[in-house]
Amino acid sequence: MLRWSFLLNRYVVTFGTIAVAAALWNLYIAFNDDGIVEGRVVGPSGQPVAGAEVILSERTLLVTEPRQRVTTDEAGTFTITGHRYHRVWLKAVKPEIGASPQTEYRLYFRGANLHLEEPLRLEAGAS
Amino acid sequence: MTRYPKWAIHLGLAIICTLMLIPFYWVLKTSLTGENIFSYPPAILPENPHLFYYVDVWYSIPFFRYLVNSVVVSIIVVVGNVVLNAMAGYALTRDFTGKGSVIMLFLSCMMIPFQVTIIPAYLITKELGLLNSHLGMALPLCSTIVCIFVFKASFDAIPKSLIDAARIDGVPDWMIIFRIMVPLSQSAIATNIILAFIWSWNNFLWPLIIIRDNDMQTLPLGLARFLTVVEDTTGALYAFCIMVLVPGLMIFLLAQKQFIAGLTSGAAKG
Repeated sequence: MLRWSFLLNRYVVTFGTIAVAAALWNLYIAFNDDGIVEGRVVGPSGQPVAGAEVILSERTLLVTEPRQRVTTDEAGTFTITGHRYHRVWLKAVKPEIGASPQTEYRLYFRGANLHLEEPLRLEAGAS
Repeated sequence: MTRYPKWAIHLGLAIICTLMLIPFYWVLKTSLTGENIFSYPPAILPENPHLFYYVDVWYSIPFFRYLVNSVVVSIIVVVGNVVLNAMAGYALTRDFTGKGSVIMLFLSCMMIPFQVTIIPAYLITKELGLLNSHLGMALPLCSTIVCIFVFKASFDAIPKSLIDAARIDGVPDWMIIFRIMVPLSQSAIATNIILAFIWSWNNFLWPLIIIRDNDMQTLPLGLARFLTVVEDTTGALYAFCIMVLVPGLMIFLLAQKQFIAGLTSGAAKG
């Protein structure tokens, strides 16, 4: 016990805690940075929309640039994989119904997996 | 002598501390909310705080690279200050011809601002081939006159008999400094470390002049570059300020006891 008592000082405790926290955070990132975005697209009345195009965009200095596009399945769900951004903009479009507003999602690290709690809701007449 | 009740003194100190901490609180609050600093009435408590501005800073510029550069330069400066200032401080505690003139020279050199010596400093660094390097950034701060006097004050407080005993035993000067004087001057070491660290950490002008590569920039230079990269600056800028401030603040808080003792050592001698 005495041999290690010199480690019990505020410098070791402070910097040690920071090092442990950084290590745990990096471990968490390593298991959650597949760049997966999952969610649903629903119509104005809340019914799932199949065949809607979901566009993932990245914000550059001045404009948002589309980077990936996927289409929803029968249940209105979609999965985007492999994005490497920490801020993404999502928008769903189905020409016959309308479009959802472009929504920003901020992430705590690049390529963080994201599961949308709220579906992307198409608004009639929007494009 | 009038004795004030303790609670009144503590209340007064608490009010002064709060007033002094308000700007720091405001920076922290804005870094968590990104709110317009000109909004009126201002919100006292942060509304919907989040850490995303810190993430923006981390990814907008090579923050970790800048952090490493700042840490490397600061380590060189701190080590240089402790070693060189201890030797210089020890020399000033000895008696030699012209000691008064040397002290006068040191004191008068403190009045020359760094900006005046920048061109010769640049030319010397260039001749040494240290432009665009960590050592080059650290060189002008590797020994500072204020810190030499901190060591001198601390060494003056050590009994001369201790040094005489060491001399009789045949201990060389460098060993007297690093085996006897320095271990007995912990508060002076802490003061040197903190002052050297803070000066090096906040140094902007010198790195700006001698650094050419983006990869060699330090955090203060990164802050200037950051303003040209990020569009929505308020929250991210304040987050960057917090990220730059925290290491220095942490070092100060950890070693404040020794720091204050070091600054006051020798102040009430005799």
